[in-house]
Amino acid sequence: MYAKFPEGAAHRTDPAAAAEVLYDAVVVGGGIAGALIASRLSQAGKRVLILEAGPAEDLTLRGYESYLDRFYSATGKDNQSPYPAGVNAPMPRGTDARRISPGAPDASAYLVQSGPFATDTTYTRVLGGTTMHWEAKTLRMLPEDFRMRTLYGEGADWPLTYEDLAPYYNEAEREIGVSADVADQAYLGITFDEGYVFPMKGLPLSYLDRMVATDLDGMPVELGGERRELRVRPFPQGRNGIPNPAYDGGKGYRPRGAVSTYQVEVGERCQGNNNCVPICPVQAKYHAGKTLAVALQSGRVDLVAQAVAHKVHIDEQTGRVTEIEYRRYDRPDSPGSATMRARGRLFVLAANAVENPRLMLASGLRGSSGLMGRNFMDHAYLLAWALLPEVAGTFRGTNCTGGITDLRGGRFRRHQAAFSVDIHNDGWGWARGAPMTDLVDLVDAGGRYGQSLRQGLVDRVSRQLQLAFMVEVPANPSNRITVDPAYTDHLGNMRPILTYDIPDYTMRGVAYARQLSRRIFARLGAEDHTAYDPDFWGYAVHAGEGYEIRGGNHLAGTHTMGSDPSTSVVDPDQRSWDHQNLYLVGGGSMPTVGTSNVTLTIAALCLRSVRAMLSQLDAETAPIAVEVAR
Amino acid sequence: MTAPSFEEFLRLSVDLTAFGETELLGTGLARQYLAKVRAACGDEIVTALLDAHRAARTEAAGDAGDAGSLDGILLDRVLLDRALRHRIFSDDRLGPVARNVIKLWYAGMWYALPPEWTDRYGARAAGEASTVTAASYQEGLLWRAIGANPPGAKGPGYGSWAQPPRIEDRYLNGATK
Repeated sequence: MYAKFPEGAAHRTDPAAAAEVLYDAVVVGGGIAGALIASRLSQAGKRVLILEAGPAEDLTLRGYESYLDRFYSATGKDNQSPYPAGVNAPMPRGTDARRISPGAPDASAYLVQSGPFATDTTYTRVLGGTTMHWEAKTLRMLPEDFRMRTLYGEGADWPLTYEDLAPYYNEAEREIGVSADVADQAYLGITFDEGYVFPMKGLPLSYLDRMVATDLDGMPVELGGERRELRVRPFPQGRNGIPNPAYDGGKGYRPRGAVSTYQVEVGERCQGNNNCVPICPVQAKYHAGKTLAVALQSGRVDLVAQAVAHKVHIDEQTGRVTEIEYRRYDRPDSPGSATMRARGRLFVLAANAVENPRLMLASGLRGSSGLMGRNFMDHAYLLAWALLPEVAGTFRGTNCTGGITDLRGGRFRRHQAAFSVDIHNDGWGWARGAPMTDLVDLVDAGGRYGQSLRQGLVDRVSRQLQLAFMVEVPANPSNRITVDPAYTDHLGNMRPILTYDIPDYTMRGVAYARQLSRRIFARLGAEDHTAYDPDFWGYAVHAGEGYEIRGGNHLAGTHTMGSDPSTSVVDPDQRSWDHQNLYLVGGGSMPTVGTSNVTLTIAALCLRSVRAMLSQLDAETAPIAVEVAR
Repeated sequence: MTAPSFEEFLRLSVDLTAFGETELLGTGLARQYLAKVRAACGDEIVTALLDAHRAARTEAAGDAGDAGSLDGILLDRVLLDRALRHRIFSDDRLGPVARNVIKLWYAGMWYALPPEWTDRYGARAAGEASTVTAASYQEGLLWRAIGANPPGAKGPGYGSWAQPPRIEDRYLNGATK
């Protein structure tokens, strides 16, 4: 499907003129949450204004290729390397992470970290948001993830069940274009509608995955009084594969191609570029630009970019939001901005789980429950790495095609955190900067050149196996986003301050993950090379053992949903309890993160919320029937 | 001083990388790489490196060759390896440059020379770590050596990752030193 981003749409809306319009909805943030909501509201005939903090550039093939060029030319290829770093809407960067000394917050980068635990977690502030750099792994949450408190006495219960969200998972899988097979994905209570198939067939496992599976499949594990057998399972992926003709009752599925170009060399099936993060070179991977392009075609969606929300204004009497004040900067790389206003019937904060509470708190809106910004969650990643006995052809495929998901759920969650395990097709890249670090070491320290270098590379790189344990972090009110007028950015916006520690519950899961990795490596006959550096910024000690913990960029929990206004920030529709016409959407609404990468669930939640937004708009704009007595 | 010869740079690169002339020329970057090394280290050092390489090859050719006509002569690999180690890799001035040329071909990136080198032989602006062009990353030999594509470019095609890697047989079974 050809998705044309309307020419000039990123800069044709005059902010001054827009300020005179009463939009049906003003959406802050042009990532997947904002794009989905704008697209669905506009389909229903509503007028929407999107405020985007990133540069005002259309999504074009040329623009996309400039991201790629920036990536190719970057000496360090971290997950922000393709995207322009602007001074006015700064982005946290993985390379910013520093060890935090007690009592001394690290304010050297945009995200101020007061610790005690430092994280490299990031988000991308360009049109399309973090879906530009996301890996596009699209796991549904388990039914038990919604009932953690009831079942396991840990974390929180959702005011929604898996069954409530299931139809919206279906819709999100259509929008994102998920490639997977139901037979692989129905486990640990995940159910699908009768006859459901994913839009596209599952991507094949990598040669590396299969090599691991040969020895791993059937490995017995006893945990929490339950016995199970591990196996390598393919992950559902938000990237184009082979359309399933059985989709939608036999209607089939038409994959969505690259934005603003025809499907010739780009926008078709995944080509195995092994670069999902930080950028798919051919837009086989979904990004929110694909949804935005369609939304903007409606003619009912206006977009003002280079617009950083500054303050949410409230009517003191009714508590309703009256307008959003924002700073419109002139150029991404230099100071100079104007203060503008956006007015609407509804307001939707879709900026992410750090920026949403940051904006609310900077506006003095702490929430009647006092929970705004609290319960910050992410996944804690533990990596373990080894060399397989044989050449596995590492560094081919998508970043990750398969993994171990058998320990995502179970009774052991009373005691310790669950995890999902990725088999990384990009070897020890994340843990140790492979393969460049291997190259440098072989040449500089190993004296290798010519044939012995080629041999050394095959021996050392093509046998790499890295397991990434994505460990659940439960909500804890002490983990939170705050603001402080002492920390502002160039536009005078208060910067987010993160206070974060990894709870023992998670650390018990981490410790178990490390033990399990040793067993797995032994079963595979692999040489364990895992060693955790005490000087690493994310070094954490538990029960006398130290671990390197990394962030997952799976931001969640800072405006959690609930059914009780005194213990939550938003209701099950993601509507603010305090401000009737305000929705805070995205990962921030999630009471638990489970062991799923958050984007699919964010998309499902937003699609569900659209229904509430539409009925609210209809109710609040319906003509009042006046009965006249005769 | 005459400018360092492109042909000699190419011959040096073949010995350093174990990729053939055709493969190196096929990257389209050989001339830019020579220009990069000259800009980063200066012609005097590049010429000395090429001279040392020529001398190493002459040594490895033994009685069969003279400096002018080494092409096509079967060199003694053991002798060449020793001559390269003695004349280049262990040399304070030439060793780090040769290692950087290897990394340049393999990674498509010029790494900053070690500080002890720049202290002694001078730092140039062009000596800072840099990618030569956006294409050089994509042409890194590292990826070919491991039978993979450079991440983000030259996608090998849907499902190709399920097949065994295409790595030359002689490197598959390990331990060729």
